[in-house]
Amino acid sequence: MERDLLRQSVSYHGENLMLLLKCEQSENPDFKRVAADLSKTLNQSVRIVSEAHAVMPPLEQFMEVCFEERRELFYRDVERGDVVIGRINSVRDFGLFITLLCTAGGLERDIEDLEIKALCPLRCVPSTGNHDDPLSYYQIGDLLRAGVKGIDRYHEKLTLSLYSSSLPPHLDKVKLGVISKEDLPLHYTYVNVTADSSQTYEKLLESSLGLSNPLNVDYLLGKLGVSDTQTPSLMRGLQSKHFKEDDFATAIRKKQSVSWALKCVKVGVGHFKSRRYVEAMNEYNKALEIDTNNVEALVARGALYATKGSLMKAIDDFELALENCPTHRNAKKYLCQTLVERGGQLEEEEKLVTAEGLYKRAIVLDNTFQGAAEALEKLQLRIQKSLELKEQEAAKEQEKTKTVETSAEKLRKILKEEKRMKKKRKRSTSSSTSSDTSSTSSDDSSSTSRKKSKKRKHKRRRSSHGSKKHKRRASSCSDKTVDDDIEWFPAPANTSASYIDQKQSISKLISEGEQSWEKSRCEDGRGRLDDAIDRSLENLKHGAQSEASRPGRPDVNGEVTDQHRTQSISECARNRRDSSSTQSEYSQKSDRYSKEFSLQGRKRSESERGGNEKMDKGERNSHDQDDGRKSSGGSLKKDIPSNLLDIFSQIAEFEKEKKLQK
Amino acid sequence: MSTQASTSGSVNEARGRRSAEDVEDSKKHFRVCRFIIDTGVKLGMRSVPMATACALYHRFFQSASLQVYEPYLVAMSAIYLAGKVEEQHLRTRDIINVCHRYFHPESEPLELDGKFWELRDSIVQCELLILRQLNFQVSFEHPHKYLLQYLLSVRSLLNRHAWSRTPIAETALAVLKDSYHGSVCVRHKPQHLALTSLYLALQTYGVQLPRGELEWWQVVCADITKAQIETIMSELLQLYDMEAKCT
Repeated sequence: MERDLLRQSVSYHGENLMLLLKCEQSENPDFKRVAADLSKTLNQSVRIVSEAHAVMPPLEQFMEVCFEERRELFYRDVERGDVVIGRINSVRDFGLFITLLCTAGGLERDIEDLEIKALCPLRCVPSTGNHDDPLSYYQIGDLLRAGVKGIDRYHEKLTLSLYSSSLPPHLDKVKLGVISKEDLPLHYTYVNVTADSSQTYEKLLESSLGLSNPLNVDYLLGKLGVSDTQTPSLMRGLQSKHFKEDDFATAIRKKQSVSWALKCVKVGVGHFKSRRYVEAMNEYNKALEIDTNNVEALVARGALYATKGSLMKAIDDFELALENCPTHRNAKKYLCQTLVERGGQLEEEEKLVTAEGLYKRAIVLDNTFQGAAEALEKLQLRIQKSLELKEQEAAKEQEKTKTVETSAEKLRKILKEEKRMKKKRKRSTSSSTSSDTSSTSSDDSSSTSRKKSKKRKHKRRRSSHGSKKHKRRASSCSDKTVDDDIEWFPAPANTSASYIDQKQSISKLISEGEQSWEKSRCEDGRGRLDDAIDRSLENLKHGAQSEASRPGRPDVNGEVTDQHRTQSISECARNRRDSSSTQSEYSQKSDRYSKEFSLQGRKRSESERGGNEKMDKGERNSHDQDDGRKSSGGSLKKDIPSNLLDIFSQIAEFEKEKKLQK
Repeated sequence: MSTQASTSGSVNEARGRRSAEDVEDSKKHFRVCRFIIDTGVKLGMRSVPMATACALYHRFFQSASLQVYEPYLVAMSAIYLAGKVEEQHLRTRDIINVCHRYFHPESEPLELDGKFWELRDSIVQCELLILRQLNFQVSFEHPHKYLLQYLLSVRSLLNRHAWSRTPIAETALAVLKDSYHGSVCVRHKPQHLALTSLYLALQTYGVQLPRGELEWWQVVCADITKAQIETIMSELLQLYDMEAKCT
């Protein structure tokens, strides 16, 4: 161990390093040799302090104020709640006597040589656990930090306490009790230093690091409680009352930005009128960069979006403009118009409820807007009609289901059992309410379908079965999550586009269905069907929801469909959707959307995707709907297990007979 | 004799003229410094950057002539430069806005046209001129940190109630800020200025400090004498008189 290097580092780091070295290197013979020297070095070094400001010893000391005066001043100025540090000089049975060394909080005085004695009575000494007698913990010569509890200024008596309750709230983190030399406050340490080397205040100040801290002015101003930007002045003209708020830089800048932004908006409107939409958009964006939330720019941009057809963006812009300026006439007018237009769009997509909401909002905004009121009335009539039809359908359904053969009831019982089994593993989602809406929507779709082609009755029955089951399940609080499907269905089944072929024989379908069944667990077969039906309806619901409530967020549906690992099930689901959706464009549109998203999200073979697209195209062209329906019906059969398939065929036959009977 | 008399007369005259000019100049400087401090407050400048701006201005005109350089332009550039030096960067746009409004009260903000850019260019050019005039020595040591340290030390000498009763810190800082109206800020050491401000504040309120072998100000600043303190104090007080004359 190099003596000089050690000495250098020990004198820099101080006693901490010394202690560590002693602990770790006590066996090292080299260290033992230099240890003696090091302890000498330590005594001579001064700990370097990195403070926000220079910590100076009390000024008294430099001033060499006389003994009497210092004593007098101390007793005048010490207050309850000050912290003092002293050395125990005797332990009596009624308390501790302490000779004060220095002050540690509240006052900063040079009191070491004043020989001020204080008493810490027994009741102010907290017990230290094991010891019965709290005083036995303390010994003569210990350094003690205590709070001043009572002062008798006339008799010059101090009472101390070791309980932190004696300290004011801002000092209650201070630890009272026995301390070591490291905890002595800095100004006291400096006192010792200056006594030896007779440094002047100035020299000490200059040498301290805290003075070179560039931020010490801010810190000290804060400490002294003076604001930096509002510093006081004694000049008459600089008094704060002479400064007007409008003259400040930020206020002027804001006004300037607004007027610059308006200029840009004017140029942009010029472009807009001459149909130069791209330049107009550039100008508006520039204006919004200069001054975000500029009302005029937002309104103009919204109008541009509305003209181009991005109605949702237009609505966003108008809303933002109205937030900033609720009385902007143009914003209101344009917003009403856009809302009505958007409502019209949604109506065509059969999102009747959302459309209604939009119309109502438009009316709220501006109740003189004729178009909104008319559109709302029309829409409400339409909703009413559809509701009436739904009720009729529901009534008819109720009658029909009562007369179904026991085979259907058997099926239901089987399904119920499955449901109960799986109840424990299901996580509850918030889909119970939405499943109700989905069931109503599917009912709605099934009811409207009844009016149309008879060919589809076959599948519609099945769909109503499915929806009934789903309703039952919903009512029995069976909440399904898509995650369950992942558990149950490990491997995707092999698929081909052959199911699109309408002339596929049922036997082939059954065999394929059995094949796919063998891949999964036997007892889960029925569960799969459940899942398929549920999921299909969930997809429908998701599709509907996403379209209705969040018109710009296809992710939800995409996520839902992403999780369909088993292709057969997903196809079944999709086909379910196909079968349950009818000529009602509402569900059809949702199918399209959900199919689109499922297309995006799914990792399928190309053939399947081609098949899907074919299916989609079939859907989109209304005259191909029948084909689509038939093929979906055919492919649906593929996935049903043999026993269930028999049941279904029985049901189908039965219903056919009924039809014929009618 | 007559020539001597005439020359001494003319010298006296010249001296008189010069002192009259000086008086006029100092009034002009006072007004411009008032402009700097006013603008600084409106820009939200902290005390040290504002002090730097004034110091830059005074030092510039110690060696330059008011006839040659437009003082208000120099002032604006000094503000800009001081913001950079003291790490409180100010935008020229804000400086121009505030200054324009100072000279044309209640006016609309300037348009972003050619005139605006020309103003901005002139500020930037003048900044370079100031740098060259001052030999690129633009870092100053200000009295503020010394004053604050002294305040802390003096606070420990006083009874805490007496301290909270009398606004010693605010007054001392106010005196220091006002001292930048005149060139006293660049003609004395920062420690002396700090000390004098504190001394003035204490004397104003009649605060008694304990006496030891040394006075507190002797301890704080070893090389200052009572006479020096008195001189600086009178200069500071003259500034307050000048306010009445100038504004």
